[in-house]
Amino acid sequence: MFFADEVEKRRHAMPTIVACFKWVIDEAYIRRSSSGELDFSSVDYKISEYDRNAIEEAVRLKEIHGGNVITVTVGVPEATKGVKDALSRGSDQAYFIADASFRNLESSQTAAILAEVIRSRIVSYDLIICGEGSSDLYAQQVGARLAEHLEIPCISFVQKLSMEGGRLIAERKVEQYTEITATPLPALVTVLPEINSPRIPGVKDTLTASKKPTVTIKKDELSPIGEARLQTTGISASRMDRTCEKFGTEAAELTRFVESLRKKGAIR
Amino acid sequence: MAGVWIFAENREQTLELLNVGRQLAAEMETGVSALLWYDHERAGDYISHGADEVLLLPALPEDQSLEAYIPVVVAEAKKGDPDVFLFVASARGKELSARIATRLDTGLCSNCITLKYDKESKTLEMERLAYGGAAVQKVTCPARPVMATIPPRTFEPTAAEDGRNGHIRELSAPPPSVVKILERKVKAREAKDINEARVVVSVGRGIEKKEDLAIARELADVLGGEIGCTRPISEEMHWLPEELCIGLSGVQIKPDLYVGLGISGQIQHVTGIRNARVICAINKDENAPIFGVADFGIVGDLYSVVPKLVQELKKI
Amino acid sequence: MMDFKLTEEQELIRKNMREFAAKYVDPIAVEIDENSRHPAELFKKLAEGDWLGIPIPIEYGGAGADYLTHTVAVEELSRSCASTGFTVSIHVGIASMLILLFGNEEQKKKYLIPLAKGQNLGAFVLTEPGAGTDVMAATTTAILDGNDYVINGTKTFTSNGPTGGTYLVFAWTDKAAGRKGMSAFVIPRETPGMKAGEHFKKMGLRSSQTSEMVFKDCRVPKENLLGKEGAGLVMAMAGFDHGRVGIAAQSVGILQAALDESIRYSKERVQFGAPIARQQAISWMIANMATDLSAARLLTYHAAWLKDQKQPFSKEASMAKLFAAEAAMRHTIKAVQIQGGYGYIKGAKVERLMRDAKITEIYEGTSEAQRMVISGNVLR
Repeated sequence: MFFADEVEKRRHAMPTIVACFKWVIDEAYIRRSSSGELDFSSVDYKISEYDRNAIEEAVRLKEIHGGNVITVTVGVPEATKGVKDALSRGSDQAYFIADASFRNLESSQTAAILAEVIRSRIVSYDLIICGEGSSDLYAQQVGARLAEHLEIPCISFVQKLSMEGGRLIAERKVEQYTEITATPLPALVTVLPEINSPRIPGVKDTLTASKKPTVTIKKDELSPIGEARLQTTGISASRMDRTCEKFGTEAAELTRFVESLRKKGAIR
Repeated sequence: MAGVWIFAENREQTLELLNVGRQLAAEMETGVSALLWYDHERAGDYISHGADEVLLLPALPEDQSLEAYIPVVVAEAKKGDPDVFLFVASARGKELSARIATRLDTGLCSNCITLKYDKESKTLEMERLAYGGAAVQKVTCPARPVMATIPPRTFEPTAAEDGRNGHIRELSAPPPSVVKILERKVKAREAKDINEARVVVSVGRGIEKKEDLAIARELADVLGGEIGCTRPISEEMHWLPEELCIGLSGVQIKPDLYVGLGISGQIQHVTGIRNARVICAINKDENAPIFGVADFGIVGDLYSVVPKLVQELKKI
Repeated sequence: MMDFKLTEEQELIRKNMREFAAKYVDPIAVEIDENSRHPAELFKKLAEGDWLGIPIPIEYGGAGADYLTHTVAVEELSRSCASTGFTVSIHVGIASMLILLFGNEEQKKKYLIPLAKGQNLGAFVLTEPGAGTDVMAATTTAILDGNDYVINGTKTFTSNGPTGGTYLVFAWTDKAAGRKGMSAFVIPRETPGMKAGEHFKKMGLRSSQTSEMVFKDCRVPKENLLGKEGAGLVMAMAGFDHGRVGIAAQSVGILQAALDESIRYSKERVQFGAPIARQQAISWMIANMATDLSAARLLTYHAAWLKDQKQPFSKEASMAKLFAAEAAMRHTIKAVQIQGGYGYIKGAKVERLMRDAKITEIYEGTSEAQRMVISGNVLR
């Protein structure tokens, strides 16, 4: 239902847009030990790729409509660099929910924590933007779960977004179609990387980031966190066991190659 | 109560879910229910393919999207209390399942590639890929129902059985959702669907210019297959449409034969080909990672090797 | 106690510079070297990100950061293209810094702000055909005539000569006064009587534009005298101190690129059935490279840090420049060796690195001049 008063109110006010991001291991730094196992010892961290698109989209909308952008993240206390990184991308204010035990939160837990903070501390907002999934575990759940907790509409896999007259016009990619949807605000979207190209912050942007207001929230300020609904029993290096038989490039070798394919039934 | 529920999408994917659904149901000694939101005529078809029950979700008005079904599905799940609830890992499936899992306060294994039921511990052990495909994450769900989204082509479609019976039930119409669909634009398919191709010849950065794609096409033609590519070729160079991009963020294919030309074998691409029956690679760099995941490899310059290979193949 | 960590801001800035370089510099690095071209469009983008005024205070158009941050940025840029890193270093580290340190308020407003904003490029005009290491052998004069100084003479090897907008020019106002007889002037591009020659086709650092500057009755108003008459040499030395940290950073960037290339190649190249990284001859070359890189970086960052602490840093800047430059030359030669024939072909990154490295041992004080400075300091 469209609530005419709400729509009218939002048509004129400057929006508050919340962008959620995750500070993740940069998978480019993951190495394999000689035994084939994963080696995380020299990893660096980054804002997850698609979350950068989420922050960029929030800032882009602010540049059009005015208002302010709030970036929110749940993570370990060392993630202060990530909080600054987000602020350097055009966000005006940050909420940082930090605890050492938050290193391996499961999607349902992250969503519940974000929901509590947004509901109780941010309170009033027009739009929440999340990336379509985080580049480490890529569960693609937090955005949708968060929308359910907050009881607001959710449109995922959005490749184009605009705010028009108190409602959200979102173009989402669904299998064979592109659907153009209209949704009353407040709402939540998850975005695809195609939606924009995140800016590289300039030097001044980075230097002024830490001067922007950051609210740090500790675990004991939150309601007790539920048990993880999905439990990880192990993470191992992925393997593909095929023994590559090598062939040379001379004519005889190519004949042998083709014969090998035929024997395997790969050529009809 | 119990049951293995599946949320049906297109026929092919529904048959894949019915396959794994039937297996699990047999091990858990329960039945399979399929929730059908379109193609209601297929109810009987799905029963013969393994569903014991088909729940029909009434058709939605034109301007309504699938999220309208969420309250109906949740109410039904609370009544029926299934053990397992499976969705296709499509855009719709991923969103719906995450939202339903939240309302049911349960866990969801996204992009699940294996499911194993352990009879002793009565636990469903699931596996999925993480870190861009470099790692395998093993998970279990302590709550119920255990939910998972399954990528297309992870399982084979199930076969029909004669004389199967099941019953069909209609669910109530949902209240309208606040999200309205203004327009649906069908994406004009720019290329053949490589998901179905028996043979795929894929190109990577080893191809120097767009015109040289002809070399790959020739090889694909003589092998009776289609061409595909790695992400840089479609996303950066725009030499081929995105539907032909194979990998973690593109399509995952399961051809009989895959040939990679000038592809180094980054994990993001390799994730898309790991289920091919025979993998071949041609690359001039003898230490390219792709040789580590291939069955057959030719170390050489594709520009001289491929034409010779085409000649050899034409002799057959 | 010593804290060897960069601040979070410095780490983020380094990351952003790396991303910028990968996105905008890497794709054109080979072409601008091949064609000896100054990429004006790239410098526009650098200006937009505040990269051309990092250590300049905000009220003068800069980003208000410290010199160490600028040093890290020069290193990351040089890792992709030594010419680009060098151009930024001259522009910021010498031209802009000298106006900041010695200019009066009007000069800072008129010349420093546009430089910090990257609206034009700064140049340092000291070297002459007959006066390289022997600065005192210069012959360019600036004679006071009414309200102007009239400058006559020829300068050479001026970086950013053809492309500059703001030139810091050194000339004798009183030859008889010896070390206290040279002065410095801020001269904008359009000033009649100053002309840049054709740019030199160089062995390396080819995208950086280098040329002669000819002064023929070039009239410069008194207001453009930088600092006091006769203080030229003192200012030039201050310019060298800052510039040497920049060249050290440039050399560190070249070294890092050489190491990256060497590791990548030696893991991929298979001979005798194994990657050549397993051959001790190669792995020892890489070990030496990594060690000297670490040493060069620490010397460089320390010199920048001293400057930020407002402590004297001439000796340290000289040591950093000497060490880093010689290490860059030494190891880029090895990097080409590791890649064998492939490293010798145009388009291979290591062949450009080796050609670019040579000049770091020559400009802003040859390695010989650095040894004079260091020994002069140590043997006092």
